[in-house]
Amino acid sequence: MERRDFLRTGFVAAGGVAVGAAGVSQGADASSAAAGQGVATLSLTADGGLVVSSVRAGGSAKPTSVEVRRGVPGRRWVMVIDLAACDGCGKCTDVCAKSHFIPGDREFIRLFNMQESTDTAPYWFPRPCFHCDNPPCTRVCPVGATFKRQDGIVLIDNERCIGCRFCMAACPYSARSFNWSPPADPAPAVARGYSPEWGYPRRVGTVEKCDFCADMAREGKLPHCVSGCAMTALWFGDENEDAVTNSKGDTVRLSKFLRDRAGFRYMEELGTKPRVYYLPAANRRSAAPGEPGANVSNSQRRREQR
Amino acid sequence: MKRSAIERDLLATLDPMVRRGRLWIGGLLAVCAMACVAWTVQLVYGLRVTDMRNYVSWGMYMTNFVFFIGISHAGTLISAILRVTDAGWRRPITRMAEAITVIALVIGASMVMIDMGRPDRLLNLLIHGRFQSPILWDLVSVTTYLSGSFLYLYVAMIPDMPMLATHARERGRSPRLVRFYEMLSLGYRESPQHRRLLARALGAMAVIIIPVAISVHTVVSWVFGMTLRPGWHSTIFGPYFVIGAIFSGTAAIITAMFLFRRAYHLERYLRPEHFHKLAKILLALSLLYAYFALSEYLTTWYGGVATDWRLLELLAGTGPVGAAFWLWAVFGLFVPIGLLLFPSHRSMGSIVTASVLINIGMWVKRYLIIVPTLQTTFIPAEAAGINPHYFPSLVECMITAGAVAAFLLFFTLFSRLFPILSVWETVEDAEDAARVAVRAPGPTPAGKRVRAVPAVTVALLIVAGALVLAPWTAASAQTLSGVPAGAHAGAHAGAHAAAPAAVPTVPATSIAHIELERTSEDGQEMLVATVTVNGQPVAGATVAFSVARSFGIMALGEDQTLADGTAAVPYPEGLPGNARGDLDFSVTMLSPPALVTAPVQVTIGGAERPLAAPAEVPRALWSSRAPLAIVGTIAFLLLCVWATYGFVVVQLTAMYHLNGEG
Repeated sequence: MERRDFLRTGFVAAGGVAVGAAGVSQGADASSAAAGQGVATLSLTADGGLVVSSVRAGGSAKPTSVEVRRGVPGRRWVMVIDLAACDGCGKCTDVCAKSHFIPGDREFIRLFNMQESTDTAPYWFPRPCFHCDNPPCTRVCPVGATFKRQDGIVLIDNERCIGCRFCMAACPYSARSFNWSPPADPAPAVARGYSPEWGYPRRVGTVEKCDFCADMAREGKLPHCVSGCAMTALWFGDENEDAVTNSKGDTVRLSKFLRDRAGFRYMEELGTKPRVYYLPAANRRSAAPGEPGANVSNSQRRREQR
Repeated sequence: MKRSAIERDLLATLDPMVRRGRLWIGGLLAVCAMACVAWTVQLVYGLRVTDMRNYVSWGMYMTNFVFFIGISHAGTLISAILRVTDAGWRRPITRMAEAITVIALVIGASMVMIDMGRPDRLLNLLIHGRFQSPILWDLVSVTTYLSGSFLYLYVAMIPDMPMLATHARERGRSPRLVRFYEMLSLGYRESPQHRRLLARALGAMAVIIIPVAISVHTVVSWVFGMTLRPGWHSTIFGPYFVIGAIFSGTAAIITAMFLFRRAYHLERYLRPEHFHKLAKILLALSLLYAYFALSEYLTTWYGGVATDWRLLELLAGTGPVGAAFWLWAVFGLFVPIGLLLFPSHRSMGSIVTASVLINIGMWVKRYLIIVPTLQTTFIPAEAAGINPHYFPSLVECMITAGAVAAFLLFFTLFSRLFPILSVWETVEDAEDAARVAVRAPGPTPAGKRVRAVPAVTVALLIVAGALVLAPWTAASAQTLSGVPAGAHAGAHAGAHAAAPAAVPTVPATSIAHIELERTSEDGQEMLVATVTVNGQPVAGATVAFSVARSFGIMALGEDQTLADGTAAVPYPEGLPGNARGDLDFSVTMLSPPALVTAPVQVTIGGAERPLAAPAEVPRALWSSRAPLAIVGTIAFLLLCVWATYGFVVVQLTAMYHLNGEG
């Protein structure tokens, strides 16, 4: 059997777990029957709840507003970024931009060329939204347009946002962007219809940012940036499962990974409790910024193209 | 001075406009119309027409907002504080000051609306308002302040209304205007009862408007202070902004006095002594503001935190921001202080020059508080090759010019409709002066009113303290339950040792049979696979163990089967299962090739269960439900203030009914 098929079986099995968890938390009887059939035979139609509603077959069914605000029950999405593996190729930014139809003036995951001091080595620093557990952005929102879900994701409802941009001022990581002009979304973006879980079609005068690909996670798929990272620098998973997975399908225990590799969160002292962990850029696998053979940052590349 | 002479002089300001006045109004209207065009352009093309971008996301509009709210403090200081302390010289100034408050508040609040990306969704603030957001605090306190200053301005105008009605009738003005004045007069007459009710209403308003005004600028500062940004996240921001507001408000009142004195020939009433008394206050405030600015910059500089230093290097640097900063420091602060410092050199000209410089300087200062901080981010934008620059665009400048023009226009129109100097208070002033010439004045009713001040102020201070403290206590108790599930390794060991293994159907082509179970060997939890072919154990086969996770299969290890056909790896202690505590394991035969088969999947219970998310959203700063302490504090504060407003309205109603009895 091919490794790929093997993985897919795993996905279905895990999907079954998700269905079971969803069912239990909703108190539905069907879930136990579904789980009882065994993990290998699970189908996504077993439980009428959340999983079915997010299946993207042809046209995707939208999660209800209650589901969007609550998140996927029983989950605590988490990301790990291995700074030692990142080579600054900018693929994450590109893949993200493509899948979210992002206009050229913004990046949801931005690549920084960091250097703490002149005596220390520079390194690449991809920065998505940190989906903080104590988010400064949702605190200040006057209308609850940006909100924190039980599965850890921080989203924005552009049908409620009044465009005051207080959240942009409050985010210490500059992770948020604004629709300064009326949007020019391509046809597929318009056709899908709006949900805060994917953030398009856009609306002028509203704020947007990285959404952790909430719709993908709901389906048991990795975010676009993670699956698009050829360097396997990005890992994504569920803290409640104590596991993160990279683009090659390697799955490791989150707690052990962070312990062994001395994981940290960016600017822990701010108390925002990010849901994105970094692994230090020790023993880098490729050239650091500025070294011979190193990549250039995305924005730099874009500027040079112009 | 005779009462009739005062009335004649002060009501002369309401005479039909001369040509110069019409040109002035026309010019202001033209600038306002230009601003309306600019705003329309902005509504159609979005905020792209400004120079604000994702890094510098607030700019000139927010600067104007803080500036006008600051100017609005003129009314509070001059009018309320001087009224409460019964400073007689305030009398010709109060009306002007109170009008500045109302007009500046309206303009300031509208700047926020212009800054909004979706002004069409303004009502969301009422429908979905979150009391954890400083913007809601702003909304509530500015609304309260605007209502209060409107009421305050009106109450102090009531005694002039009957006279205005008479004056309008005598001059043959439109009957509608006469009726308008009569309606506003509430039937006020010069009688002891009317005087008493008026004094009570004015006394209450003068007291309550002071804490309300302080709260407004404190809350405005908290829009910045509550964020984690360098240069904003400062504990002195509340008082710093309040002092800055009173400072710029006083400068604004001096400027306005000068202009009205010139335009309406009020030299006999707005005398040099008024300018000199205000100049002393202005000097004190400018020194106080210099002290606050020094405290702010010196502590951040001395502390030397890297991000703070990047901001200070920008502020004191050689770029346009640095130039603006030094121009402000020299011409907005030190030169005015120099002009005001020496009594011997304090002339009307130097006082007014200082005031104008301070007004411009304080606008620049607000700009320097807002923009450079947004350029100084924790993760430097420069590290991504981005230069977070900002320079106001034409649209922003036009709208700002329109805001200034609208302010002047409203002020001019107000002065055309009502005498810009309070007639009854000026008369009172003249009568007092005459009485002083005869004998020393006895205790005034104001002395009695003041007694209510300490109690109310102390209560408000306590509540304000509670408001500040409450969020932190509430927030620390309630953070979303994150479950580092893997941290509880071994807690369940032995509870489900050797759970029954479920064996799925093996494909027909396969002859190997695998069973998986969890056992305890020598105190260690193990996963044991038993490989058999036709009931006979297979030795030397390589078996791989793994467990399913949402996004992939986590390898647990490999082992070779022993003579009894068993292979084992340690059980993944502490690995959380699903909601029922089940883990989905897979066993794969890697060798010998003849036995390689599809992975066999077995669900074994007894694993950790992830903690269920709380059934309802907690009350927290970041959540959709506000901590009760915040809601309660705001409700209580509002109740105190609005109850006082209610008391004032009751006095006015009583005044209106007195008329019926008489």
